[in-house]
Amino acid sequence: MKTLDQQLLAAHEIGDGRVLMELYAQAAEQADTDKARGFYLTHALVFALECGAPQVSGLRQQLIDMGRDTPV
Amino acid sequence: MTRTDLSKVRRPIAQANGLPNAHYTSQTIFDEEKHALLFDGWAGLAAASDVPEIGDARPIEFLGIPLLLVRDRQGDVRVFQNICRHRGMILVSQPRKIEGAIRCPYHSWCYSTQGELVSTPHVGGPGQNKHDGIDRDLLGLLAVRSHIWMGVVWVNISGDAPSFEETNGALIKRWAEFDKPLFHGGPESSFTLDVNCNWKLAVENYCESYHLPWVHPGLNSYSRLEDHYHIEIPGKFSGQGTEVYRQIRDDSGELFPDFEGLSKKWDTAAEYITSFPNVLLGVHRDHTFAIILEPLSVEKTREHVHIFYSTPDTDAGLRRKNARQWKDVFEEDIFVVEGMQRGRHAVSFDGGRFSPAMDGPTHLFHDWVAGRLESRRQAAM
Repeated sequence: MKTLDQQLLAAHEIGDGRVLMELYAQAAEQADTDKARGFYLTHALVFALECGAPQVSGLRQQLIDMGRDTPV
Repeated sequence: MTRTDLSKVRRPIAQANGLPNAHYTSQTIFDEEKHALLFDGWAGLAAASDVPEIGDARPIEFLGIPLLLVRDRQGDVRVFQNICRHRGMILVSQPRKIEGAIRCPYHSWCYSTQGELVSTPHVGGPGQNKHDGIDRDLLGLLAVRSHIWMGVVWVNISGDAPSFEETNGALIKRWAEFDKPLFHGGPESSFTLDVNCNWKLAVENYCESYHLPWVHPGLNSYSRLEDHYHIEIPGKFSGQGTEVYRQIRDDSGELFPDFEGLSKKWDTAAEYITSFPNVLLGVHRDHTFAIILEPLSVEKTREHVHIFYSTPDTDAGLRRKNARQWKDVFEEDIFVVEGMQRGRHAVSFDGGRFSPAMDGPTHLFHDWVAGRLESRRQAAM
């Protein structure tokens, strides 16, 4: 069973934006500090934006609520 | 700054000489013309059909400037400078579909297809995507003024030319009957020709019917020299028309469908006009075409040919036949434009002379070039 890190590396290797979004969102859920959570949510948001995923607004709102982003 | 003497070009046609050799061989003059003729006005960049679907993005280098042609989420064609506002990184390197936002591959700043900056990840530190010093509203993609007409995307790089409609109003009015949906014939109706000549020679050759009997003898049986007429609007556009356009047919005699609502003139007429500086246009009752001249260097040009029809579902075989026929005609011109280019290295060539009866449209283009350059030189003094 691949670790999350290994899964992320594999997804980066093939450039699968939707998988990257999901994996980074998963990493954010598992993060044990606000800083780490903010970092991973940012990456999830970027890949969601790039692939036009419906999760964009929810991910951005989480970052706004943390004081780490602003509405568009 | 090297300055050529353009006074003889501006004389009346019977006394005029053509543009001096340097206008076809000098990098310095090429660079001057790049601004005066191509950047400061409305130049043809691409066909709108180069980005046929929403999200399609195509990088295009235009005389060294990295541009990005995009069809945005609303279906509108936009042109941007193909760089991130952060560190100037090229955003899109290959034609592709933008599924959501355009992500810079360097620091992942993201832009909507309408050019808005929608994300600045970590700009305020890791996991902090905002900073008081970075106003996203002011850092959208750098839009290039663009306009679509006759299936062509036109751009004004300088940003300060009069509107497209004002600049090209006379030609738009002349061909108002063709102001209707034009349907690109698809991949088979598009081809490129690379020619070893300065782009202006392709314009000059297209201007005139004088060479037709010798270079395009296939026309002699049905479109003789006397069937052609000059089109000359000083300072605006020039070209030629024919009064005996003959429609192409397939093996069973079928024709392309006509554009709707054309006046009787177009039953048998066709016109071929260069919209200065670099787009060679042709209109017929059943199809139009655009040849976008891409200056690759002082002595090299790429001709991008696109053929359009009145409906989206014309016969594929007939489209192939029509494209082949036009390609044959345009290929016939290659040896003369390349020959004229080589001739521009003849040290004593004085730019040549014009037939007052036959070279009006060509001289008109030379005069337009000279006028634009003189204006720019005057403004620089």
